[in-house]
Amino acid sequence: MTDEPQKIQSIDAEFLSGERFAYQENIGLVEEIDLDAATPGEDINWLEDVELLIEEGTPAVFDRYSNSFLKIYFPIPDGRENEIARKVLIAHLQSGNSYGIRLKEKHCKFPQPELGPWVEGSRTVGDDWRAPVLEGWEAPPH
Amino acid sequence: MDDVTITYDPRGLVELDGTIPKVAETDGERAVLDARELSTRKINAELRWLLYEQGVKEVTILNPSARHSLGVGILTRCRITFEGSLGYFGCGLGDGAEFQINGRVGWSVAENMMSGAVVIESNAGSLAGAALRGGDLVVKGQVGARTGIDQKGGTILVLGSAGSMTGFMMQRGRQIICGDVGPGLGDSMYDGTIYVGGKVAALGIDCVEGEWTDADTELIERKFRIYGLGAPPEFTKFVCGKKLYNYDSLEPSERKLVL
Repeated sequence: MTDEPQKIQSIDAEFLSGERFAYQENIGLVEEIDLDAATPGEDINWLEDVELLIEEGTPAVFDRYSNSFLKIYFPIPDGRENEIARKVLIAHLQSGNSYGIRLKEKHCKFPQPELGPWVEGSRTVGDDWRAPVLEGWEAPPH
Repeated sequence: MDDVTITYDPRGLVELDGTIPKVAETDGERAVLDARELSTRKINAELRWLLYEQGVKEVTILNPSARHSLGVGILTRCRITFEGSLGYFGCGLGDGAEFQINGRVGWSVAENMMSGAVVIESNAGSLAGAALRGGDLVVKGQVGARTGIDQKGGTILVLGSAGSMTGFMMQRGRQIICGDVGPGLGDSMYDGTIYVGGKVAALGIDCVEGEWTDADTELIERKFRIYGLGAPPEFTKFVCGKKLYNYDSLEPSERKLVL
């Protein structure tokens, strides 16, 4: 009998990564992030659509690159909810901790910068992708 | 009869030779690529090579000749200028790139863009900004039907008029249409905001006029300033009436699809 994959209800960045990150617990680690510099154009561009949300009763920001919520555990100053959510998300992406980024090296099928548009000079991955081969399986003759 | 080696897909779908041509003229972080003799696949391969491997930050592409699917899947911060028109699905699936198109574009320009900017000096076909996720799409001419269909974020700004079913099934994001719009504006939209400067032929199902706020003024003035578009006209704001659909009825797995 084969083991069933673990099934969960939540869509949590910590579950996917297997760890909690310091910038989820310490506002001092995200305060200095320049959102304008981290995004294309002269304003915050795509971050305009990123807002602070609540996931399972905890403030959280949605990471679209891993399809999961990244919870924020430190107190967020009034009036800065969306700004802080955006800074935590950028910290998550620039550090390469987003699970979607972690999957890139093994699974992306065409060349691309590992850390996308968030980190200048990031190394290129995906230039030698080969389809995985299941052990013992042979392609049908047709 | 001599043997013939086919090096292309005879259906015209895929060019099998993905060799990077390496013909662009580079000068530090800038490059100029004459695309006159190159296929779509070669142009895109050259673009990725320049941007990912050669440290180039600005590329000018001459003679794009309205080819389809150019500038697709660029996932880094850079500036790309097309000196001419593009065919369909230009500049799609981008994340971070800023495009300037000195010409017209076909269907579905900037579809699925995650972040960045696409500025088109002339007209765009139907489905401009289809499934846009983030970033800015600026069309200085007219656009066809179903602009921003299934839009999930980002801002679409059109200086001219838009066709029918503009904002169809829109889920998030913003559209700023300075001219008139055809029938079915915002039909079946879940969320998001549409600003119209001209006349609306007819509203779509569950699209209603919204209340203007200071945030609306700030957004429009900011985008006009960034793209050097002068003083904005007066707009009417349209939003979802929330009678047809609402997020509360969605399952969690459906909810995350629109975030």
